[in-house]
Amino acid sequence: MTQRVNRRTLLGAGLTVLAAPALAACSGVSTSGTGGEGSVDFLSTQFLPVEERQRFEKILADHVKAAKVGFNPVDASVFATTVQSQVDANQVKISLLGGLHGDLAPHKDRLIDLDDLAKGLTDRQFPADLLELGKFGGSTQKYIPWMQATYVLAINKAALQWLPSGADPQNLTYEQLLAWAKAGRTGNGGKPIFGFPAGPKGLYHRFFQGFLLPSFTGGQITTFRSPEATTAWQYMKDLWAQTAPASTNYDFMQEPLERGEVMIGFDHVARLVNAPKPKPDDWLMVPAPKGPKGLGYMIVIGGLAIPKGAPEPDKAKEVIKSLTQANVQVEVLRANAFFPVAKADLPGDLSKPIALEAAAVKAQQGAQGTIVSLPPVGLGAKDGEVAQIFKNCFKEICLDGKPVQQVLDAQAVKLNAILDEVKVSCWKPDPLSTPCRVL
Amino acid sequence: MRRFALQVFCVAISLFMAAPIYLITLAAFSSRESLNEFPLPLVPTDPSTETLSGFLSSTGVIAGGVNSLMVGLNTVVLALLIGLPAGYAVARYAFRGRQPYQLFLLLTRALPIVVLSVPLARIFLTTGLYDTTYAVTLLHTALALPTTVLITAAVFVAVSPEQEEAAQIFGASPVQAFVRIVMPQALPGIAAAAVFTFVMSWNEVLGAAILTLNQRTLPAQVLSTLSFSPLAYRFAGGFALVVPALLFIAIMRKYLLNMWGTTLK
Repeated sequence: MTQRVNRRTLLGAGLTVLAAPALAACSGVSTSGTGGEGSVDFLSTQFLPVEERQRFEKILADHVKAAKVGFNPVDASVFATTVQSQVDANQVKISLLGGLHGDLAPHKDRLIDLDDLAKGLTDRQFPADLLELGKFGGSTQKYIPWMQATYVLAINKAALQWLPSGADPQNLTYEQLLAWAKAGRTGNGGKPIFGFPAGPKGLYHRFFQGFLLPSFTGGQITTFRSPEATTAWQYMKDLWAQTAPASTNYDFMQEPLERGEVMIGFDHVARLVNAPKPKPDDWLMVPAPKGPKGLGYMIVIGGLAIPKGAPEPDKAKEVIKSLTQANVQVEVLRANAFFPVAKADLPGDLSKPIALEAAAVKAQQGAQGTIVSLPPVGLGAKDGEVAQIFKNCFKEICLDGKPVQQVLDAQAVKLNAILDEVKVSCWKPDPLSTPCRVL
Repeated sequence: MRRFALQVFCVAISLFMAAPIYLITLAAFSSRESLNEFPLPLVPTDPSTETLSGFLSSTGVIAGGVNSLMVGLNTVVLALLIGLPAGYAVARYAFRGRQPYQLFLLLTRALPIVVLSVPLARIFLTTGLYDTTYAVTLLHTALALPTTVLITAAVFVAVSPEQEEAAQIFGASPVQAFVRIVMPQALPGIAAAAVFTFVMSWNEVLGAAILTLNQRTLPAQVLSTLSFSPLAYRFAGGFALVVPALLFIAIMRKYLLNMWGTTLK
């Protein structure tokens, strides 16, 4: 009996060994829909989520006629490794790179100059400061602006009943937001109504870097431990006391908002857009609040670049031309809630959630006393470490309840250690001094 | 009474293992809206294949699955082809430097792939293997070899050399003696090594993501994506990733039980 089983298993093992060469005869099946000769391989840090990817692939198929594009969204670390290894080994397989400013910045010397392309695209009317960003402080254009986004507040209209008197949701101050969160919590039977994305994948550090701190201090890095920063963090501590504690699990605010766990949420527009989808009439989207120094807000800029040694640079340029056309930019807004960088008239038939966001973004840009900030520029791989500093401040001040000044002083030392290593100039809203350090 | 306690214990362990899988399955087959209900029902109330079919039809998921299967099976075969003789040698022969060798084996696991990623990608780029399943197979084989060698060595030690010698006395060649006497007895251990190897290869993300571009394995294709996707897709993706690995383990299970059967008795 045992003998028979063994013989059969041996036979099976033999078959497996025989099957292996058959399997091995093929080097793989394409997972990006292309990969053949002459197609443009497009490596991107954007549109990772399944549905966003599908919608963007459809836009590529419908509007990009110059070449077949293989769209490969990857996370930022794989993006960095892939670009670095391919360009440095002089074996480039990718023809087009798409990423946020911060994703492309560490590779500026691995990108070809796109001045000729930028000159040919003057009819797109990119804002001058966006084009300037694409030069990374040098003299030549390294990337062409692709799309932009920012962060806003989404408000369920049910929360308006607790709005403090005299406050206008479209024109909130941080003090009013705090009073609102407090009143709402009391009115809601002790259940907090405000939430923000402090989860493991949440973008809450951007709230500190680009909204809270600039609004209170006018800077991001240089003013890191100024008396105003202490006030800002003290405010944050008070706000956290009125915030849903489950916020530390929220990665995308649209989910708790849609579920009704919270009624007011701050997040990236692409991470809020699904909240109003089922019942758009129940929602408001408004600009970020104002602080003592003004309305600080952060813009997120995506760019398109071509690596040195790309197999299909000319086709990639054609793809960039297609993707920066006004109608394609509007399609991206419709599909994935990233806003145009080229001059484009927003059509009147935008879906309700997108229209809500578009209005909020416009109001935020046009508000009085805005302080625009950028995500850290030129930090490369250290970007995450700097973000971690702000997350640490939040954890120690708000969650662990440590004294504000003490935490800021300790974290400032760590922040300076990172900055001393990279030696970059400051980015907006800090004055453009070199090297950037906490004062 | 002791038997009863044992039964209860077994049921508890099984429930502990099965509960997450059940919950993932349930959520994968629920509609998006029903996932927003609170508290979530524990029985299917609104079954739907919408998210799962949406996930499966997205670009590259099926192809990624095929690539993963190819890489996984090829890795198992390659790791066993190299690892079995090595395990046998470690078990049977006392050679100079055997202890350091066994320790040295584990070194491949001591270095995180993140550190090696750029040089690794460069080597595969210059050899022209970049973006093929071969590259991923080779990497996974390297990662799996330590466990394969150490597991099989432990099993070969348990097979008595006298039986092998006896077979040779009765006219078997060394290879015949190995195939007919040692292999059948070592089969459970080999199966265990195969399961480890396959599951490791099936779950490995970073190496696969770095070495491929257009021909990714399933985890490289979707895992990083899923953490940024809506809840419904995470469940659908989780389900699609768990099922093939479970199937493979189910197939290998009888060999594993065989091992426990002989050792537990």
